[in-house]
Amino acid sequence: MKALETVGPACAAVLLAASCATGPAEAPPIFPYAHEVSEFENGLRLVAVDSGYPNIVSLYIVVNVGSRNEVEPGRSGFAHLFEHMMFRGTEKTPPEAWQAVMEAAGASTNAYTSDDRTVYHATFSKEDLERILDIEADRFQNLKYGEEAFKTETRAVLSEYNKNFANPFRKLDEGMRAAVFKTHTYRHTTMGFIEDVENMPAMYDYGLQFFDRYYRPEYTTIIVAGDVDFEAARAMVEKHWGQWERGGYRADIPVEPPPAAAQRVELEFQAPTLPLLAVSFLGPAYDDEEIDSAVMDVISFHSFDENSALYKKLVIEEQKVDAVMPNYPDHRDPYPFSVIARIKDEADIDYVERQILETFERLKDAPVPADELEAVKSHLRYRFALDMDGTEAIARTLAHYLSLRPTPETVNKRYGLYASVTPGDIRTAARKYFVESARTVSVLTHRTDKKGNGDD
Amino acid sequence: MTDCKRRRLFAHAAFCAAAAAALTAWAPAAHGAGPELLLRPGESPLVTLRLVFRAGAASDPAGKAGAAALTAAMLSAGGSRKMSYDDIVDAFFPMAAGVSAQVDKEMTVFSGTTHVENLDAYYEILRQMLLEPGWREDDFDRLKDKTLNDLRVRLRANNEEELGKEYLYLKIYEDHPYGRQNSGAARSLEAMTLEDVKTFYAANYRRGNLTIGLAGGYPADFPQRARKDFEALADGAPEETALPEPESPDKLRVHIVEKDTRSTLISLGFPLAVNRGHPDWPALKLMQSYFGQHRSSKSRLYQRIREIRGMNYGDYAYIEYFPRGMFLTKPEPNLARRQQIFQIWIRPVVPENGLFALKTALYELDKLVREGIPEKDFAATAEFLGKYVNLLTQTQSDALGYALDAAHYGLPDFNGWIKRQIAGLTRDGVNRAVAKHLRTTDLDVVIVTKDAQAMRRMLQAGARAEPLYASPPPDDILAEDKIIGGYKLDIGSIAIVPVETIFEQ
Repeated sequence: MKALETVGPACAAVLLAASCATGPAEAPPIFPYAHEVSEFENGLRLVAVDSGYPNIVSLYIVVNVGSRNEVEPGRSGFAHLFEHMMFRGTEKTPPEAWQAVMEAAGASTNAYTSDDRTVYHATFSKEDLERILDIEADRFQNLKYGEEAFKTETRAVLSEYNKNFANPFRKLDEGMRAAVFKTHTYRHTTMGFIEDVENMPAMYDYGLQFFDRYYRPEYTTIIVAGDVDFEAARAMVEKHWGQWERGGYRADIPVEPPPAAAQRVELEFQAPTLPLLAVSFLGPAYDDEEIDSAVMDVISFHSFDENSALYKKLVIEEQKVDAVMPNYPDHRDPYPFSVIARIKDEADIDYVERQILETFERLKDAPVPADELEAVKSHLRYRFALDMDGTEAIARTLAHYLSLRPTPETVNKRYGLYASVTPGDIRTAARKYFVESARTVSVLTHRTDKKGNGDD
Repeated sequence: MTDCKRRRLFAHAAFCAAAAAALTAWAPAAHGAGPELLLRPGESPLVTLRLVFRAGAASDPAGKAGAAALTAAMLSAGGSRKMSYDDIVDAFFPMAAGVSAQVDKEMTVFSGTTHVENLDAYYEILRQMLLEPGWREDDFDRLKDKTLNDLRVRLRANNEEELGKEYLYLKIYEDHPYGRQNSGAARSLEAMTLEDVKTFYAANYRRGNLTIGLAGGYPADFPQRARKDFEALADGAPEETALPEPESPDKLRVHIVEKDTRSTLISLGFPLAVNRGHPDWPALKLMQSYFGQHRSSKSRLYQRIREIRGMNYGDYAYIEYFPRGMFLTKPEPNLARRQQIFQIWIRPVVPENGLFALKTALYELDKLVREGIPEKDFAATAEFLGKYVNLLTQTQSDALGYALDAAHYGLPDFNGWIKRQIAGLTRDGVNRAVAKHLRTTDLDVVIVTKDAQAMRRMLQAGARAEPLYASPPPDDILAEDKIIGGYKLDIGSIAIVPVETIFEQ
């Protein structure tokens, strides 16, 4: 085990002003909590964070596997299915026993899967930390389930797909991805293609292979945040997770070739819905050194969020649009920068599309005024500080960043980039990314050829 | 205001006493009284404000369903006299702050959190929004449109799970002040005028029914400043809406909502004579956690329907209103009600398993009512709840919200109180409360499904239910399936409801 990074608290609490009673003269880092990053011999990482909140501990186990890793045809949705399988127990700790430990700890437990990661989390009283680290280590190393349990769980996953079925944003997302990505695995959503989900019961053997490949220490980061003693946490993780064997598998994630030409996707939805429009350009991957992805975030808040001129025009003044929002979540690989609008009347779709495209165009020439840029930077800083409301929120935020980069320092670096963005950076990024060949416009409307036309 | 009969609450004496104790805050405020303050000072650099008005959708005037919702929307997402909504958005943006409104039947809460560095600027805007509303026609048109779209499109067409749960409430509370969705009804919203909203504001936003909750590192003089400002509201408090006892149906009253969907969704329930101020609430809280803890795999319903049988994504039970459950792992505070329901929520199953899932839920409920909670589960659930309660109040905003609710129900600090109550429960006591308050008949069942006629035929014919499995479960479960498959549903009535009619009137 080696300690990679130990950072003391920046101040007694989250402070944003340039002055800090006990800290250095310069502005304190945006992530102000004392923390320690350790890497064990098997490649496992531990990030321990003192949140300053008493009694409670949040344990977030981040596995760097998501739907991005689903490289084989017919296997989409497997990372998510596997998240479900992880609750199927081991010989030493069957599901009922795991459940009993969590119940006795009063724990709130759950898990989620995204394009880039799978995260298992529990929040509970601090005295139960070792017991829970023990049973979690057991299931990550010794998960065991039969084919019947596997098939049963695949139906729960199908039900999860079905519960999202009525949401038109799901369909819009599926359509947009399928158009933007020709080869990269972001082509499918985390739920997977429906035909693959329906075929999951037959994939028992592949499930075993999936676990063997990815549930390995070199793919995993453990976050222990809250009322935590760093040294004790390190010793507990060493004891229970130190024997976990390193694997050797690397998925060959296809690289998406540069987009060739502008595209238009027309989608029909089975239930009544307002028309949805998404204008997307392929944007850069998350980075904390190169500024481009940070600039794109600044653009999203400046030009497409609730205070933007576009929002005010379409939503507040003209009232043609019910909601407009940017969507550019951090990703490990290049991902679309989208602006999504829910339009009140189908007749206005073309108009709204033009307004959005003109907004993109303006960014290439007209410099963003300095006061507007400062407002965005202020917004980003306060937004982060307001999000840090409690131990679980801190751990949840870190889980996101630690699936992208190895240490919490990435948060400070990223916010440093935001602070340095200039109007020139915005113009440069706009000219580089908002080009016609990288553009995909997706339109979803209600299918009206059935009974009950839904024109209400 | 503690005359139980006059308010036509439940006839149960203990409930009357508890409700009376719980609702002292509802007594008409003395002349010049209010607003009240509830303070949780702390060292956090974040300051949370929660302003709770004890009035909500149950106060919508006759034919004006949606007045409470539109009023709250005009205050939280419209301009003030001095500032247009544009100006407000611009001013809040650099602070990353905002004001959100939540309207329930008897409570409307405006909440927001700001960094203490921005408190003065933030509060001044919030003050203007709530005390000096701009009442602009263009804000009104925009927010009316949004509310209508939320009802007809977002809720009715695009969220089948919430649709089923909300429709259950509508049916249980037909001809009752709770009988409209909190956002109102589409037809009355369409007819609503700005004048209606102003009238609602004048009648219901008063000094005497407001509590200002503050938490975090605010300056010492801030609470009194806020109180003084809000003394500008009209004096007194609105008269409390009389709540009749909801009428229970005869046997099972089934409502099949016909909708083009891949799955079948089920919600069922009945009025519960217990709210948080009732002496049996802790016992039923423990029951609810054992039987159907929200979004938890530990509960009985989840174990039997999802875990063992793989039928769906989850199955839960409730004793308090819990909207937006598909997006939340914990309930939002400030949804206090005098009347609550017991509810079971079955998440989507494939249509072939719809009848079987319904029967399983009722079979399990029947078992719970007859046999009570097993000893080992009682002990485990008590241990769980005693610790889990700390997670409910993890954030400053949640802790403040729970404190406001506790004060509303006349309870001391929620966490300490519920821990003591749970520690004092016995298995026999809980099982007595379960037997007294829960039942498997005279209840409403809402089923959202595509083939409504087929579902009706099966229910009318008293059909056996055969589960469809991807992989057969163990023999003991298959044996139980036979019992469940033949479980008799005592149907009182069946109605098929075209989805487009819901939330219209």
